[in-house]
Amino acid sequence: MTSAGGPLTSRLDLEAAQLRRLEQVSLLEATTLVLLVCVAVPLKHLAGLPLAVAVMGPVHGLAFLTYGWVAIQTVAGGGWRRAEATRLLLLAVIPFGGYFNLALIRRKRIELATAIAA
Amino acid sequence: MLDALYPWLKAAHVAAAVAFIGGLLAGAIALAAVQSDRFPATASTAFMQVVRAWDRRVTTPAILLVWALGLTLALQGHWFHSAWFPAKLAIVVTLSAWHGVQSGTLRRVAGGRAMGPGRGLTITPFAILAAVVVIVLLAVLKP
Repeated sequence: MTSAGGPLTSRLDLEAAQLRRLEQVSLLEATTLVLLVCVAVPLKHLAGLPLAVAVMGPVHGLAFLTYGWVAIQTVAGGGWRRAEATRLLLLAVIPFGGYFNLALIRRKRIELATAIAA
Repeated sequence: MLDALYPWLKAAHVAAAVAFIGGLLAGAIALAAVQSDRFPATASTAFMQVVRAWDRRVTTPAILLVWALGLTLALQGHWFHSAWFPAKLAIVVTLSAWHGVQSGTLRRVAGGRAMGPGRGLTITPFAILAAVVVIVLLAVLKP
């Protein structure tokens, strides 16, 4: 499983793949939360359509669980400051907050890409 | 229609839970073994790559299935209002979070990095087993 670039590159490749996964589930979690809070809940209370919440509630629940799991998995691999880890978990529960996490994850990816190129 | 599917969903949930617990225990025992310095560094890395591959291909999909099927069963059985279910849910959340930590540690060691100072990993498999016993008791007896 060691790549052609050697063990260090292999290790960095593993981290890069992990950050890509975190970015994808972060986007999914943030979007399902926005759809739940900004679309489904108003449809239920203003238009009398509870179906939207009945669908989006479990969908967001599973997306949130997946995000939490991937975030823990990413942080447990090392290289994250305590403040960054806290931010990852806290912003995810605020509508639109997950989108701000994407900037942090992308910065981490750029740092890693720079390390791989060096 | 969901009522007719109930036994099948339950069977699939139990099968996924068995696969998850098996993988979780295997990973915990492997990490404890590597931490005990019984393997040279290169052997540890190769060993962890095999354990991590199992974690990714079997254990992780299994926990996703456990959650999806478990929540479906809970909604179907109206268990959210019973006393035993929140206790079981809390233990499952803890085990899932621990799997996240363990999975990240497996990636770290499989990538060739050191595990860091000991964190009582030798007792982890026993703690997982104890949690599983409590989950089974709660699920079967529904106190």
